[in-house]
Amino acid sequence: MAVDYVSPFDDRVRTPEPLAPRPASVSGRRVVLLDIRKNRGAEFLDRMETLLTAEGAITARSAKEIFSKPAALALIDEIAGRADLVVEALAD
Amino acid sequence: MSRSHHTPAGPHPAPALSVRGTGLGEVTIGALTAGGCALLLFVNEDCPTPALAMRRLGPLGRAWQEAGLTATAVFEDPLEIAVRVTRRLGWTGQVASEDPPYETSRAYGLVSVPTAVLVDRAATIAGTVTGWDHAALVALIGQAGALLGTGLAVPEATEPLLKPGCSSKAAIDPELAAAMSAPVGTDGIEEMFERGWTDGLPVVPPTPERVEAMLGGCDPGVSLGLVPPDMGEATLERVAACAVLAGCRPAYFPVVVAAAQAALDPAFNLHGQAVTTQPAGQLVVVNGPVREAIGLNSGMGALGPGWRANLTIGRALRLLVTLTGGGMPGQLDRSTQGQMGKVGLCVAEDEEVSPWEPLHVERGFRPGQSVVTLIGSDAPLSISDHRSRSPEDLAWVLAWAAASQWSTNWWPLEEPSVFVICPEHAEMFRAAGWTKQQLRHFMFDAVHKPAAELRRGETTPFVHAAGPAAQVPKWASPEAIVLIVAGGEAGRYSAVLGPCTGMGSQIVSREVGSPWPLTT
Repeated sequence: MAVDYVSPFDDRVRTPEPLAPRPASVSGRRVVLLDIRKNRGAEFLDRMETLLTAEGAITARSAKEIFSKPAALALIDEIAGRADLVVEALAD
Repeated sequence: MSRSHHTPAGPHPAPALSVRGTGLGEVTIGALTAGGCALLLFVNEDCPTPALAMRRLGPLGRAWQEAGLTATAVFEDPLEIAVRVTRRLGWTGQVASEDPPYETSRAYGLVSVPTAVLVDRAATIAGTVTGWDHAALVALIGQAGALLGTGLAVPEATEPLLKPGCSSKAAIDPELAAAMSAPVGTDGIEEMFERGWTDGLPVVPPTPERVEAMLGGCDPGVSLGLVPPDMGEATLERVAACAVLAGCRPAYFPVVVAAAQAALDPAFNLHGQAVTTQPAGQLVVVNGPVREAIGLNSGMGALGPGWRANLTIGRALRLLVTLTGGGMPGQLDRSTQGQMGKVGLCVAEDEEVSPWEPLHVERGFRPGQSVVTLIGSDAPLSISDHRSRSPEDLAWVLAWAAASQWSTNWWPLEEPSVFVICPEHAEMFRAAGWTKQQLRHFMFDAVHKPAAELRRGETTPFVHAAGPAAQVPKWASPEAIVLIVAGGEAGRYSAVLGPCTGMGSQIVSREVGSPWPLTT
């Protein structure tokens, strides 16, 4: 006997955003290093910045309000306006 | 439907039984007739006439058994259904079950159910009655009594005296019979597991009827917002489905909705709590008249288990996070070890026993309002103190129990520690005239260490920046100490729940059922 149930799920189909094309080189590219503000994430970004600068990238730093919340849309828009590439650091 | 009729006895041997019973032993004709005679009542769940027969004959089974007549309801259904149906109908005889293709029913030439078959000591069929035929059944029972040499109780002659039965499953297409025999009652629970609509425990299937009852007039389309981490929309219909799954009664739904509203307040930061590697649960504290109205327990065993309202309200909120919100453990929920409070934890404050203003009044509500307060929290740690003889000693013991919360040397904590003070401990503070604020400040002042003693392993930037002799408190402020009263009247065990740390999660409260029902 088939029984209908009320689903607790939101069954909307959400299409994933496609990945942006990957550049062959970072030379001359604007790279924003996004610190999520978790412990020691900045250390990782410091090292990344050194390596990227050596490869000719133009780096800049940015940070989320707090690691445990999604980045604010305004921050995402701001980074999108001034960066070709983004490196987001995890931590611990 | 089939008409009832009585088949005269013939010297036919009773075919062997291919059935399962509820006991350990095999169910055989020999075993059933060992004490005298056997009455086989073939039935199934789908037809009302067998139910009538079991209701009328059921109470007589025990007396028949003592007189030597063993009555057995033989179900063309799974054994778990047979047991449930016979319990409901008051059947006091034996219970057995046969599987498709119903070889036993076929062997007995069954056309319809109910069919009663009397088997004598020699294991031959002494008589048969099909359908509900009161007079024929009385005659059959009388025949059994004659075989046993005793009088047997018979059913009362109340209407209906005649009622035709329904087709035996053995008499219809085997494939159709197998489909009909699907154990709907128990399959629903298994189907919930198959669908993944569970927290790992059995749930109540959210049928449209149950969800509608849960909604209690609320508009199912009203949205409370998006539930992190996967941002599923919390329509009231989905919240109600979670409440049904959790086992809530409809009377609890306003509390579940208020808890959901509080959890979805951005200040609570459910997103971080739902996905963190921490053992972060969502503690639901309930204050106000709704506690008594829906049977929330704030007394003995206040932190559980044992009370439906407490357990299912907390669970409903967690199911909303895991199912609607997609925060499924092991998937988007990355909690390293988890904790049982993540199944759901709802505590009601014992405002009547407390010497202090209740939590919701501290947070700006009126005493007569019913309020839910959400706190991101770790598992409870029990604190025994049966020996303190002064409020100072007791407050010191309680406060230092929390000294290792989050991590041994993580001082100060920005986030709240929730102390659930038991009535006997609360009474000591009442007798000494301590206000809640006085206790909170004493506890805050009691727990501090020099920074030098905290510089080992995981510690805070605050400790590293402080001079070695600087005194560092466990909490950043007295307000990080939350005090509520709950528990049994005897036993000096309080508890403290550690915080969800580093997320900026704030305590959030919402009034219950204002407005209600929710239609916009």
